[in-house]
Amino acid sequence: MDDLEFRKRALANPHDSDEDFVAATGSTPERMRLVQDIQALDKRIVEMVSAVTVPADLATRLKSRQPRVSRPVKSVWSSYYAMAASLVIAVGVILSIGLQSANPSAADLQLHDDALRHVYREEPRYERAVNDLSWQQINAVIAEAGVHLRDNERIKTMHIKFANGCRLASGTGAHIVLEGTKGSVSVLIVHSSPVKTRFDVNDPRFAGKIIPFGEGNLIIVGEKEEPLETYEALLTDAFEWAI
Amino acid sequence: MSDTPVLDDRDKKERYETLVDAFYQDVYRYAYWLCKNGALAEDLVQETFLRAWRSLDSLQNDKAAKAWLFTILRRENARLYERYRPDLVDIDDQSIADLDENEPDQRLDRRMLHEAIATLEKDYREPLLLQVIGGFSGKEIAEILNLNNNTVMTRLFRARGKLKSIFIPGGHADENIDDADLEN
Repeated sequence: MDDLEFRKRALANPHDSDEDFVAATGSTPERMRLVQDIQALDKRIVEMVSAVTVPADLATRLKSRQPRVSRPVKSVWSSYYAMAASLVIAVGVILSIGLQSANPSAADLQLHDDALRHVYREEPRYERAVNDLSWQQINAVIAEAGVHLRDNERIKTMHIKFANGCRLASGTGAHIVLEGTKGSVSVLIVHSSPVKTRFDVNDPRFAGKIIPFGEGNLIIVGEKEEPLETYEALLTDAFEWAI
Repeated sequence: MSDTPVLDDRDKKERYETLVDAFYQDVYRYAYWLCKNGALAEDLVQETFLRAWRSLDSLQNDKAAKAWLFTILRRENARLYERYRPDLVDIDDQSIADLDENEPDQRLDRRMLHEAIATLEKDYREPLLLQVIGGFSGKEIAEILNLNNNTVMTRLFRARGKLKSIFIPGGHADENIDDADLEN
């Protein structure tokens, strides 16, 4: 068994008991050590996934076959607000109650789908763009969409290569594209009802965030692993509505 | 009239309850790691078993029951939650029992492993969980995920390779091997 085949099988199933794999494992000390290391790691993985506490009365409830009662899901943001609530109880309680029930509405999800469709549709155009746009070019385009970009030195250091008005089913706005660390990053600022709560874009290829922003929404979409938080902090500071 | 024999209510209830007892813990744990949230996992498991009850007559072979339940669960997850995932990027730590690890290093190590599994790409996490929680073979995982066996083995290789690179530093750089080479 060649080394690639051996490594593939050792990592895919370190407990493989097929004769050829067992023989290959014993053929060199290095192979033996690799399998032992992976088996030890696997033991820790199994311990970890098995350490999930199963609710005590779950079997009884499953046997009673009662339809589930959906409960509000505690989001990462409500967790943060809940922490704030411990410091500022009077304000915090109100915030956490408000946020615990805030899940995206059907309209919010429609905006999510429209925005992603728009990004995919525009991709061939913005990927062809290679040169940075001037500050004037960017502002001229986005001004028509009712958006203004405040003069900001940090924004000016970004490589913005595409700017266009955009019309999604839920509203109008602007679409700019800048060069990120992993590829293009689309930023859409859309004049539409603000989403009920910020939520993540769910897409096989892109990562992204949909963020309620003043009179509309800020949508940031980039390749997975792109540090989108950095852009969010810069852009929420720089964008403003002009309409 | 259907060709499938319809179980009388008592037999059906007994068969269903046997399935619950045998598999609810594994199904819950898989649901938890799929959606990373205890409350959602519970809802998902309830919905899964409710659907299993409704279509129990279609399960011809009880030996296939576990794979059947995991398949229903994946489908329900896609239908109910996967389309969007509002802020569910945090991991609900409270659902993880404390192991006998009192040393700070062990706790840190465990926390890192927890995060490493939870943040594996879904394509890699799912087959790994099916293997370590469900105890499924590569062929069974391929059927549940509707993939071919080679792809499943490649994804398992990648999943463990990523965890290995974090927890067993040094050694072979498995991540540099092309999928095409692995699937040949």
